Amino acid sequence: MKYIKSIFPLALAIIWTYALHNSWGTLPPLGKLMSPFHGFWVNAEVPESAELSEENLQIPGLEKTVTVVYDEMGIPHVFAENDHDLYVAQGYLTAKDRLWQMEFQTHFAGGRISEIVGEKGMVSDQFQRRMGAVYGAEKSFEGMKEDPKATETLQAYSDGVNAYIESLTERNYPLEYKLLNYAPEKWTPIKSALFLKNMSFVLASGTDDLKMTNILRKYGKKVAEDLFPNYPFVESPIIPVGTPKDFKPVPIPESPIDFIGLGSAMKTPEKDPNIGSNNWAVSGNKTVSGLPMLANDPHLTLSLPSIWYQMQLVAPGVNVYGSTMPGTPNVIVGFNKNVAWGVTNVGSDILDWYQVKFKDASKAEYWHDGKWKKTTMRIEKFNIKGKESFVDTVFFTHHGPVVYLSHEKPFKSNIPVGHALRWIAHEKSQELTTFYKLNRAANYADYAQALTYYSAPAQNFIFASNQGDIALWVNGKFPLKSYTQGKYLLDGTDPKADWTGFIPQSHNPHAKNPVRGFLSSANQSSVDPSYPYYMGWQYAPSERGRRINERLEAMSKITMDSLRGLQNDNFNIRARTLLPLLMAKLKSPAGGVYGQAVNELQRWNLQNAADSKGATIFENWVLLLHEAIWADDFSADENVPMNSPSMDRTIKMMQDEPQSAWWDNVKTKNKKESMEEIISGSFKASIDTLVKKHGPLGSEWAWYKHKQTGIRHLIPGMDALSRLNIPMGGGGTIVNATTTKTGPSWRMIVELSKEGRPKAHGVYPGGQSGNPGSAHYDDLIDTWAKGELRSLLYLEKPEDATGRLRKKIILSIKK
Amino acid sequence: MKKSLSFSYQVAIVLVMVVIGAISGLYLPWYTLGILFALLAYILRIPTGRAFALGLVSGFLLWAVSAFWIDGQHPSSLPERMAHLFPLGGSVVGLYIVTGVLGGLTGGLWAWAGANLRFNK
Repeated sequence: MKYIKSIFPLALAIIWTYALHNSWGTLPPLGKLMSPFHGFWVNAEVPESAELSEENLQIPGLEKTVTVVYDEMGIPHVFAENDHDLYVAQGYLTAKDRLWQMEFQTHFAGGRISEIVGEKGMVSDQFQRRMGAVYGAEKSFEGMKEDPKATETLQAYSDGVNAYIESLTERNYPLEYKLLNYAPEKWTPIKSALFLKNMSFVLASGTDDLKMTNILRKYGKKVAEDLFPNYPFVESPIIPVGTPKDFKPVPIPESPIDFIGLGSAMKTPEKDPNIGSNNWAVSGNKTVSGLPMLANDPHLTLSLPSIWYQMQLVAPGVNVYGSTMPGTPNVIVGFNKNVAWGVTNVGSDILDWYQVKFKDASKAEYWHDGKWKKTTMRIEKFNIKGKESFVDTVFFTHHGPVVYLSHEKPFKSNIPVGHALRWIAHEKSQELTTFYKLNRAANYADYAQALTYYSAPAQNFIFASNQGDIALWVNGKFPLKSYTQGKYLLDGTDPKADWTGFIPQSHNPHAKNPVRGFLSSANQSSVDPSYPYYMGWQYAPSERGRRINERLEAMSKITMDSLRGLQNDNFNIRARTLLPLLMAKLKSPAGGVYGQAVNELQRWNLQNAADSKGATIFENWVLLLHEAIWADDFSADENVPMNSPSMDRTIKMMQDEPQSAWWDNVKTKNKKESMEEIISGSFKASIDTLVKKHGPLGSEWAWYKHKQTGIRHLIPGMDALSRLNIPMGGGGTIVNATTTKTGPSWRMIVELSKEGRPKAHGVYPGGQSGNPGSAHYDDLIDTWAKGELRSLLYLEKPEDATGRLRKKIILSIKK
Repeated sequence: MKKSLSFSYQVAIVLVMVVIGAISGLYLPWYTLGILFALLAYILRIPTGRAFALGLVSGFLLWAVSAFWIDGQHPSSLPERMAHLFPLGGSVVGLYIVTGVLGGLTGGLWAWAGANLRFNK
């Protein structure tokens, strides 16, 4: 009895401690996490003082000493004596601020989230691997290794990251490791390849082929081509119309045999991210300084820690400043003494699906070009936290991986089952070489040469130099296709449906120093229909591009401030055309809130300003109107997902086809609705939903309160580490493209100088540090939300007279 | 073992526990706090009736005061964020208390276990 009495408290203490040492479901390990000596308390950082502090750190792998100075935003300016040390330092310093994010994102990219969160991460992990994320990263890593400089850079970066990881003990792990209860693993160069590959997932994995085939099956080719035209009615293409072609086109491949695929049925909802970007460059004759200026704002899913990490990298032969992506070396968007560059995404069609005919259940052979061919298999192993590991076999045809077999349920509704995926992201590539060379480019020739190495995700690379040049290349590897090839699902047995080659890089759409004095891109159509190659049928809506071109055309004596104004432009160019059309047909119920709303729209200055009520009414109305016109015809059956016609096509129908049969709601059997009825009905419905959501028409109807822009932590549901309800105007078709979850992830404006002292301003919605316990975690958000920019400190040596430096770190060799 | 302890002796025990707990916290894993408290209760022959309370008070003081002190030395928005996460409505004082209670219960249970190992053989 006594024995039990003595053991019982001990057993209780052990159980208690065990419980607090481990995580349970989403509950973190409370003992470890809350201990003031080990847990999150340790992650709180003292904000630095205004005086310059000095620190010495020893890291292995350096050849010489590296000097790093941090400015008041926590941006490191790195001065190394050779390339190798520069990239060791970049890896080390990035990891110092962003280790968890780097690792989490590459785990996500590589389909390894279930190692951290357990079984609930499996569907996403399997999707990543079946789409060939790891396969693609391995291929692109092969490509990178062909360039010795890239190999050295990647290895040095990786050594730097590992030097930081090795300096950590459990108590100073970044906060998220403590919350999710795991430890960082060694970094490897292939993780950088995975990170770059993931950019293709983020920017170039959109696919409508399945939905288009479903439309083809229901309505036939004529309707499909009429409602989903291959070029917009209103457009202002990226390459100015009339730009002379400096190449002789190669022959276009023969069209595949006509094919109507099986389409398919599935239920999983799909997210449709509103991501795009703006960039432009203006010639010296339009600027006050007389030299070109360049602006860029890539729109991505807004998140914390920030997507971008600012750095200045200096070594013999390079002095570059800009935004880097944690996980990969070099500056991605930035400037140096002589040139500036930026990117926006190209919406061309570089992803196709081939319906596969397997010989039998073993899937060892498939039918192609009149014979049975062998599939290859790739084994993917998943180590699931708290579960036994799982082994998955992915079948490959010569096209690529069969992402889902016919009986499987896909992760996203736009992914067909029983189809092989042909995707540019599976090609061997050398993106790293492009950025390495861009960082060091001194003129147009260097820039153009750097771009020849780039494959995916295709980008509109805007460029300006202090020699007075501006240029834009729509750049990447584009499959050489017959007209509209791959708009619909393709026949995997037809060799004519295969990709047979690529558009020669020098034939990629490009323009240099156009007469109009500016170049720009906003994800719209790359070229006008006179371009000899087919690149895709659907790009981002033209509104942002048209507005930017309209403004740049009108602007002269351009300054930093006027370009900042354009980046923050809230003008609703769609409303300029659409609102008068709608108002002319609207029969609103008289008086009450409907009357007030009509007045509000009549008063509206067409600006999607943060406090605008007109913007809320218009945007919500357009949303419901589009649904009222098309949902009955195109979203009637959730098992047969379809696209809806674009707003461009819808406006065309409003203008030219008021009697079209599409106006009728086919769900109302005994009634034939007219255009006026649909317009008026959707107006009433829209006002009713707004009243229900925000009460009587008043300040609660402000656009920002309706839109709810938020910057969320990468761990879903982690509101405490997020910034929500940010007062921002803008919208998806607005130059200031801030939506609920997406927006300008980095804004930069550069004014070049003959003397090699460029002036630049920039900001991103977050902060340099990934640590929620640091003052630099989110200190730039307010500046960003106000539409302001910070002056970027471009140094020649690790000293500065303006007193902006806060911290100096000497990195020396650890023996 | 029904010996009563003087108040000052009890204060001395708490002080020893807090100091030893703090030193171990700086160098060893978080749970060594418990193991050391059990050892102290065993060696110092703390009565089973008082061990839990003394361990609780020591653990609570050590963790709550350390959290308060660290927060004072490293002012950041992190504790407030964590107090939203838990959820304590953003109350940092609430977070000191939760921290203290976790340290206290760990210390108390182990001190009690140590005393029982000594006196219930």
